[in-house]
Amino acid sequence: MPSIVPTFEWLEGLAWTTALRESPYGYPLIETSHVACIVVFAGLVIMMDLRLVGLAFTNAPLAQIQRRLFPWQMATFIPSMATGILLFCVDPLRYYNNVFFLAKLVFLALAGLNALAFHLKTYGRADVWDEEPQFIATARWAGGASLLLWSLLIVSSRLIPNNWFK
Amino acid sequence: MNTKIFLVLLVAGALCAVQPAKAHHAFAAEYDLNKPLTLNGVVTRMEWANPHGWIYMDTKQPNGMVKHWMIETAAPSQLSRHGLKKADFVDGMTAVVKGYQGKNDPGLANGRTLVLKDGRSFYIGSVGGPNDGAEPR
Repeated sequence: MPSIVPTFEWLEGLAWTTALRESPYGYPLIETSHVACIVVFAGLVIMMDLRLVGLAFTNAPLAQIQRRLFPWQMATFIPSMATGILLFCVDPLRYYNNVFFLAKLVFLALAGLNALAFHLKTYGRADVWDEEPQFIATARWAGGASLLLWSLLIVSSRLIPNNWFK
Repeated sequence: MNTKIFLVLLVAGALCAVQPAKAHHAFAAEYDLNKPLTLNGVVTRMEWANPHGWIYMDTKQPNGMVKHWMIETAAPSQLSRHGLKKADFVDGMTAVVKGYQGKNDPGLANGRTLVLKDGRSFYIGSVGGPNDGAEPR
């Protein structure tokens, strides 16, 4: 199997990635935006999940809560992904074999699949979500899984700078 | 209910109060405050990069063997603020770096001050390091 390293070396050596890596303000700006977007996104996701689990806003219809929060979640998720991809491109060799970075990708994929499956189901059946018992049980599981996966993602992100397993 | 919320806030507040005692950045996780060092050698390469810069340096050990060092510096914005420029680094130049050795990696160090051959001295420590008097002002 051909190695991915030459591709990452090429990416790291490009003029724009080098310029960003060496920039006094560009890099900190992207890095700060990345964290800020994730903070707001996580806050919105946590409120949605607490509603699903049955701990917050229980007197408001679930579908209404989701419809209100979803656009804001996307408005913060998309820039956090974009800045994240940029940060990876600037220093690919630093991340590609970092165990915490790989863990972050796994949690991102799992949390994304969980959210996608739930989203596809709820939007179609929003009217019955608050009455049907089996839907309520599914919502609790989906919310709990989401809380766990996004939390694990944030913890693994925070551990990326530590080179414990080099 | 109110007492419950109060207790949660109390515990959260107590945890927050504990936090500043630990290092703000990874300094304490990776570098040893009890192992200060002065490295006098040849700079083989400098990576002027975010989120930290790196100085690669070769020093001669007492037994004549060459030791390779990887020295962490502050980010480009901080280095610039202290007056350093990327052009100040020329591969093969001699320099003196003061800093702290890595905890697990003996070839790793956290740089605090850099003295160039022409005598100019710069603070190169990253935010969150020790208050050892090396920082300006």
